[in-house]
Amino acid sequence: MASQWNVYESFQALLQAGPYHLALEGVLVMCVLWLFTAKKKPSKMVRLTKKEEEDLLADWTPEPLVPQPPPLDHPNLHTRTVYGKAGQYVDLGTGQKLLNLATQSFLNMGERPEVEEAAVTCLHGYGVGSCGPRGFYGTTDVHLNLEERLAAFFNCEAAVLYSYGFSTSASAVPAYAKNGDIIYADECINFALQRGLQASRSRIVYFKHNDPDDLHRLLKEQAIADAKDQKRANATRKFLVVEGVYFNTGEVCALPELVVLRRQYKLRLFLDESVSFGTLGPHCRGITDHFNIPMTEVDLLMCSLELGAGGNGGFCVGTSFVVEHQRLSGLGYCFSASLPPMLAAASIKVVDILEEEGAGLVQQLQDTSTQMHRALTTLHTKVNITGAELSPIKHIRLNESSGDRQSDEAVLRQVVQKAEEYGVAVTVASYLSDREANAPQPSIRITVHKNLTDAQIDTARDALTHAFTDVLG
Amino acid sequence: MLSGGHGEVNPNSSWHSSRGAWLSYLAGVLALHLFLLSIPVLSIPSAWTLTNVIHNLANYLFLHQIKGTPWQLMDQGKARLMTAWEQIDYGQQFTTTRKFITIIPIVLFLLTSFYTKYEFNHFAINFLTLLLVLIPKLPQFHMVRLFGINKY
Repeated sequence: MASQWNVYESFQALLQAGPYHLALEGVLVMCVLWLFTAKKKPSKMVRLTKKEEEDLLADWTPEPLVPQPPPLDHPNLHTRTVYGKAGQYVDLGTGQKLLNLATQSFLNMGERPEVEEAAVTCLHGYGVGSCGPRGFYGTTDVHLNLEERLAAFFNCEAAVLYSYGFSTSASAVPAYAKNGDIIYADECINFALQRGLQASRSRIVYFKHNDPDDLHRLLKEQAIADAKDQKRANATRKFLVVEGVYFNTGEVCALPELVVLRRQYKLRLFLDESVSFGTLGPHCRGITDHFNIPMTEVDLLMCSLELGAGGNGGFCVGTSFVVEHQRLSGLGYCFSASLPPMLAAASIKVVDILEEEGAGLVQQLQDTSTQMHRALTTLHTKVNITGAELSPIKHIRLNESSGDRQSDEAVLRQVVQKAEEYGVAVTVASYLSDREANAPQPSIRITVHKNLTDAQIDTARDALTHAFTDVLG
Repeated sequence: MLSGGHGEVNPNSSWHSSRGAWLSYLAGVLALHLFLLSIPVLSIPSAWTLTNVIHNLANYLFLHQIKGTPWQLMDQGKARLMTAWEQIDYGQQFTTTRKFITIIPIVLFLLTSFYTKYEFNHFAINFLTLLLVLIPKLPQFHMVRLFGINKY
């Protein structure tokens, strides 16, 4: 039972308290007083007086809007224009029909009348734009249908649709990987993924291109470091970011080995299928289909619809638990106007086509790619061709670089120009070489289309051979 | 939950500053104390010591132990390794909120000392828990994890 409180006794106790206690309380009271008088530490923002502001403004000389105007012969000032559809043949304004080996519509989906018809029908019903981001009046049933179809196509629980291919992987990676995490990435991943890695603020570790052994070595090193600091390791997530078929090299990813490492080292595998979607595997599902690896072995699959699918936008598929996270965290999803419904309708049609005749399309494309690869191997003694035989993207690179990027690119541009004269449209792969993590060597990027005939492949080979001979001697 | 907006990246930096939060804090301590006083078997000094200890432990847990935020931020995990105390006012020191939150445990300790009649056992317990919440609040200990305690 609590006793009655006696104020007098309490004050007696205060007077009888030892000096140590009173001293301590004195210190604490001083602390409180000090806190009351302490000045707020100025924030990092510097406040200037009116006069200082005016002085600074007077001193300021604005920089020119364009810091160093590029030379007038800069290639970006002379881009080529395609007149009409970029189909099997393109018109670059000369009136001459050039064989198109430059755009990435591997399956010629852009030329299919039913795809166009689906887009036009939708256009009449929905208009052009959706007038808002997905979470803000921009969602139509067409978007939801496409998401549902894509999820079903990949045997996954959910899909999320982006309105721009580039922002798909650039948004998806930083939605999961954060400050303090580690991302293992192939050194040749495409630029969109690199931007995603950069935006994630994670530690990025590049391993040698398509070399699981090098990745294994790095993972072992990390395992040793982890064993020393288990707490840190437990708080660190590890990601593995690779492409199915590398856009910058045309190599096919060594996925079976990576999947083993993923299990062994508990990595979160993010796979960019932009090139491989519709070009690999008996069901056109890309690299997982090609190696017959179940989707459960991949944590997130990112894909652009702008290459093989011949449309616009991009998507991610995976478990709904993983994918739905992007609806609030994928910046490209939250803050971009949604994909115009007509483009989504076109993509639904593309999924229809892939489901119906996918196996045949892939086989035809792979045969053509292999044939093209073999035709291009003996182009010229001073160049080589990289990429897997069945990859629809191939890069022709100079055997001996002059050591200077710009002069190499200038040589390749001359070749491109010559090839145009011989009736073939190709393009030099363009890179922001100062922003790339490992800028690939300059190259002419050849894309293979499913419908290429033997004669057209011969034309391409002859044109490029002549062009290279003209320029390189 | 997605949070922030209106130029505010992290709501954890500002909600402590609202007068409502201050009032709720004081009301919570008072309610705890009244509750403990109402338990018949507890003497008044024990009730005060218990109030102080529970307050300090809760203060330590919520301000200096738990890291990150209960909501999702668009800061790419910047606040993931920061305690709530470190997030207040985006780390600026000697702000009014920080002063308020620092003064409360000190005043509570002084009151407890008085009501426990400066008994040594009570004093030892109360003072140790006071140190537990005062030391991590010092500006010198901003983002410092002593002996690696609670680092990750």
